[in-house]
Amino acid sequence: MEDYPERVRSALSELDPEGITPLLSEALEAGTPATDLLRAMSEAMTEVGRRFESGEYFLADLVLAGEEMKEGLRLLEPHLPKGEAGAKGTVIMCTVRGDIHDIGKNLVVNMLTSAGFRVVDLGVDVPAEKVVEAVRRESPFAVGLSILLTTMVGSIGEVVEGLQSAGLRDRVKIAIGGACTTPELVERYGVDALGRDAVEAVRIFSSWAT
Amino acid sequence: MSEKHRRVLDALELREPDRVPVMDLMNEFAVANAVLGKRPNPLTRLLVDPRTARICDRLIARTSFLPLVDQTMDTLAHRGAAAAVALGYDAAWITYLPVFRLRSSKELTDVFGRLYEMSVDRDGNLASPVYREGLIRGPEDWYAWPKREIFRLPEKVNRVFRNVQKESGEDLFIFGLANYGLFENAWQTMGFERFVVAARKERGFLRRVIAFYSDLQCMLVEAAADAGIPGFVLGDDLAYRSGPMLNPSLIEELFGDHYRRIAETAHSLGMKVLFHSCGNISSLLPFIADWGFDAVHPLEPTAGMNLAAAKREVGGRICLVGNLDISYLLVEGTREEVEEAVRQAIREAGPGGGFILAPDHSHPRISIPRLRWMVEAAHRWGVYPLQESGD
Repeated sequence: MEDYPERVRSALSELDPEGITPLLSEALEAGTPATDLLRAMSEAMTEVGRRFESGEYFLADLVLAGEEMKEGLRLLEPHLPKGEAGAKGTVIMCTVRGDIHDIGKNLVVNMLTSAGFRVVDLGVDVPAEKVVEAVRRESPFAVGLSILLTTMVGSIGEVVEGLQSAGLRDRVKIAIGGACTTPELVERYGVDALGRDAVEAVRIFSSWAT
Repeated sequence: MSEKHRRVLDALELREPDRVPVMDLMNEFAVANAVLGKRPNPLTRLLVDPRTARICDRLIARTSFLPLVDQTMDTLAHRGAAAAVALGYDAAWITYLPVFRLRSSKELTDVFGRLYEMSVDRDGNLASPVYREGLIRGPEDWYAWPKREIFRLPEKVNRVFRNVQKESGEDLFIFGLANYGLFENAWQTMGFERFVVAARKERGFLRRVIAFYSDLQCMLVEAAADAGIPGFVLGDDLAYRSGPMLNPSLIEELFGDHYRRIAETAHSLGMKVLFHSCGNISSLLPFIADWGFDAVHPLEPTAGMNLAAAKREVGGRICLVGNLDISYLLVEGTREEVEEAVRQAIREAGPGGGFILAPDHSHPRISIPRLRWMVEAAHRWGVYPLQESGD
């Protein structure tokens, strides 16, 4: 019998040019449980992250793997037991007000999803009040703020103040990331962590997950 | 040859000039207008004010306002050069990008297929538009994309750079930028996610796109050289804050020969050519030197670029340009902090020549007094033989 989970793990971690969706379709047709395939994909993404950190893979490789993962999840989702995807808890992600860059944010969304988090992606140019609303509505354990533009760093403070005013600051941890973020900003705005890249972001959110 | 041109050429050719040259990217109206005492264009307010924005939207639906948009870029090039002279710079990166089209009061497109959001700074100046997404989804879109305006670029660039050179070229070594880089034009017009899939699965199509932009870039170099400007900028952000966006071997495979050709074209016409890439380009520095560029900018400290390490690794082969921080230092830094940063940069990269001091990028909030402090500190600490050495 074919070891489809192993083949999926290998195809995704080796960035097979064919992609993993044809293989997933074949595996589902052959009766491989979707949960086994999802686990294989998550393990492959961990391996991709490891190779990225070791310098073997680059940003484009992470993005490619993330895109494959997203396609694969779309295919698997109808076959998964309810609650299987996103079992590690909810994270709110967005690019802050005044900034519309989304490569880094999308990558973190893909990586967190593949690591088993439920991610509510609010998109780009998101005002603080929308983040506050989402925290109230979705009960996440953490918020991730992406920012690239130096000129918009004040938007981080707006989110922190908004959550404080709404009495929600203590319920969530906040991580920031993006080209202009520095340890000084973490201190200035009283956020909880700075992620230098998507792999570190997964590590930070995993350490906060209950 | 003017003193400033000699100073910059000495640095570019890795000799010790009389003094470390200073340059800047003059591509924000806010900085140029503040230096020259000019007011923001009142038309910008019409786009921002909700009452008039609706009328603008209706007008924009009927016309692209092409001459108006190109004229704005023309004004920016002239004012940027004049402001650089007024600030006492030896050289400046002058951008003339006649590529934008109004799509609405809030959105722009460019002739290559990007969509941007309009950006207006707090004083009401138009700021660099913010890239949002690519409009080209695949080969069919790309082949069908109207390219007539792209083919007109060299003529426009030649005309405007000729005038800017005539106006400010004696007092300033001008590096002209007239297009986005090959990598940026390839990925931003289709979006990064789409680009990485194409790099893996549609290599032939991607090569075709890159070759197109390489041909265009060479034509623009010819146009700029014919206009009489002495330097050219190839701005191509290959990296982000922690490293290259693509595997360097893939960058070499897809872009290396094209970069070499652009550098050779510039050299054959007697021009110097500077390569700009934001982000952490430590691992790419040897490639950039191998491609034949004369200088590399901006060696961004907030992306972890270490000037002393860059000097050790490639300082004998390529002129280093940068690396003063614009996230804090040139916005809020004290006079002492600016002075110390200039001293340190000169100490690390100045010995032996081959260094041009410059901010690591531009944005509308950069402080004019701090730019002046930077120039003054360079004049104080950058005179050869240097008072301090990193050795």
